[in-house]
Amino acid sequence: MKRLLYLMFIWTFLLAGCKSSRIVDQVQIIHAMGYDWRNGMYTGTAIYPTFKQGPMTKPDVLTTESSTTYDLIPRLSSKSALPIEEGKMRLVLFGKSFAKKGISEIVHSLARNNKVGSHLQLAVAKGDAEELLRITAKMTLSDMLYLSNLVEQNIREMNLPNTNLHIFLYNYFGKGRDPFLPYFEKKGNFVKLEGLALFKDDHYVGRIDLRQSFLVKMLLDETKNGVYQMPIAKQKQKGRVLLENLYATSKYSLKKGKEPVVDIRIHIRAVIRDYPIWLDLPNQQAFALVRKQMEKHLKKDISSLLLYFQKKEIDPLGIGDFVRSHTRHWNEKVFYEQYRQLTIRPHVKIDIVQTGIGE
Amino acid sequence: MNQPERERFFVSPFFVFFTIHCAQVGIGVLSFQRQLNEKVGHDGWMSVIVAGVASHLLIWMIYKIFHLSGNSEDVIQLNVQYFGKWIGNVFNIGLVIYFFLLALIVLRLYIEVIQVWMFPLMGTWQFSLILLLLTYYTVSGGFRTVVGLCLWGVVIPLLTIFPMLFFPLEYAHYRNFLPIFDHSAIDILKGAKEITVEYLGFEMLFMYYSFIKNGQQSQKWAQWANGFTMFIYLVVIFISTVFYNEEQVKHIIWPTLTLGKIPEIPFIERMEYIIISIYVLVVFPIICLAVWSVTRGLKRIISLQQRLSLPFVLITIFVASLLFNTREEIDKLGKIVSMIGFYLVVGYIPAFYVYASFMKRFKWKASMK
Repeated sequence: MKRLLYLMFIWTFLLAGCKSSRIVDQVQIIHAMGYDWRNGMYTGTAIYPTFKQGPMTKPDVLTTESSTTYDLIPRLSSKSALPIEEGKMRLVLFGKSFAKKGISEIVHSLARNNKVGSHLQLAVAKGDAEELLRITAKMTLSDMLYLSNLVEQNIREMNLPNTNLHIFLYNYFGKGRDPFLPYFEKKGNFVKLEGLALFKDDHYVGRIDLRQSFLVKMLLDETKNGVYQMPIAKQKQKGRVLLENLYATSKYSLKKGKEPVVDIRIHIRAVIRDYPIWLDLPNQQAFALVRKQMEKHLKKDISSLLLYFQKKEIDPLGIGDFVRSHTRHWNEKVFYEQYRQLTIRPHVKIDIVQTGIGE
Repeated sequence: MNQPERERFFVSPFFVFFTIHCAQVGIGVLSFQRQLNEKVGHDGWMSVIVAGVASHLLIWMIYKIFHLSGNSEDVIQLNVQYFGKWIGNVFNIGLVIYFFLLALIVLRLYIEVIQVWMFPLMGTWQFSLILLLLTYYTVSGGFRTVVGLCLWGVVIPLLTIFPMLFFPLEYAHYRNFLPIFDHSAIDILKGAKEITVEYLGFEMLFMYYSFIKNGQQSQKWAQWANGFTMFIYLVVIFISTVFYNEEQVKHIIWPTLTLGKIPEIPFIERMEYIIISIYVLVVFPIICLAVWSVTRGLKRIISLQQRLSLPFVLITIFVASLLFNTREEIDKLGKIVSMIGFYLVVGYIPAFYVYASFMKRFKWKASMK
């Protein structure tokens, strides 16, 4: 018995050598990957850090071309001295022309890939993804994850609705909803977030700006951040107020019937961050005036956004999914045939909680 | 063996909670959402309850059968007692083969998970060998060792894996439950049929009943164990329903493991690898329990000593595990084993129960005359 135990002990250690290992400085860890479609060829771009001594470490860029998307990573390997590892990938960027063509191949491959985490960010670039990634490659190592950090920061603090691979797949596969992704633009030597890219099934169909993406964020879920600027007028004076959202909720309800109506009740608790000097805000009357104007304005903006979605026949808000949850044996096809004619009525209520520490 | 001498092999009724619960929650929890989703969509939780209640009933029947039979020790003796030596032993051999296949499929499915998620280059034989050597060590320690393993196989995963399931609620869409009853009662029953196999494992009670001190008193714990299994399945199906939508689940092979991609802590970015590693503690006791049942069965049928049959059984499992290489083959084996298990519990147990109670009444009437 004892001899057998020793044998087992030895076996276990011997077999431990059979596993495959990947040592961290002997692989090329890709941090971001870009996909483009140019002149009938697919281009793949990968950014990876090369570790040298000290803070001088700079990211490197690898690009390759191919006629299919599948062998882009194997082709990148043929240009790299070390094996390519996708486990730490944080961002996948699609060029606009690639996104227009459809991203389902990449998305399915990401969904199948067990090495990739669910927190991976996907995004669309105006122009080429390669160009944007080359800009980020000029940064030093501390800014390596520049783009993915930018997206995460804007989700946490600003107007961008929550997105990552899981949410994209949820919207992409789910019936009664369409996906959306952050949209980047090159501004000089910087990359700037410019709103949301909207998808129908797997291809890009349009975009909205950052102001509107706050509305999307609010309509999608309850949210605790975001800013929104609106015009305001009192008698002949005109100006703008900046509203900072503290806590917003949206409630959907469905009136069934021959012509169903979807009502969206939005309740925002907000701070007025900036307002024109002539507006005497702590004053009750001025308060009521501002509130009323803001509610009216926000309602108008939401209505036009919803109309835009209906015109494009896309559903990033998941209104189809909402109707499904209130309809027995919901049929996706029938619903979207009538989607353009569907009446969606937003109702906005704003509570101004505070106006800052000065008067 | 006389009674007092055997006493030291017994376990107290309380431990039945662990043996039953441990045997029920196995590799199937990682993927049962798929089958359920296919049949009942988002109404899957109702099927979980229906199947759970049915298992409560079946456990009650097992205890009742032992009660009616008087002093039978296990199913081997029961079969002979009620069906005679020949037919009884055919049933017995069938049961032993079933337990053998159970150990085999659990082992193979777990190795598949490891191969797909962690070590794609690892051969089946390496892991199979390590795990079966450990099984030898455990099972040769006797039933009490197996029960001890079951205890840790319940406690450790409960403290480590279970809390991780709640992180995905960050992305919850509670609307996914609506409309309730979007599927017909027949669909729900079909789903319940699919999920019944996830409750399997309690049938091994048939084998180790005689090792429980005051067998009949342990029923309370067996029922609690089943209730707890139902609770865990309800939590898993609840979280998966709000986290995924119906279409998405169709594209994921192990939805529960993919849930593990969500928790993120600074020094371990990918929790599912930790879950898979700890999962060996969920899988290993099932293999031990099943292998123990096989050797016990062989001892009772052909009086083969467990010490002699154990290496033989393990080598057979080892060789058999190498024969199944592709997803389809493993899937096919899994379907066969779960089909046998399903008909075993919903066909054999109730039929046995009806037959046993009929015999009892018949004998009682006969003795009245």
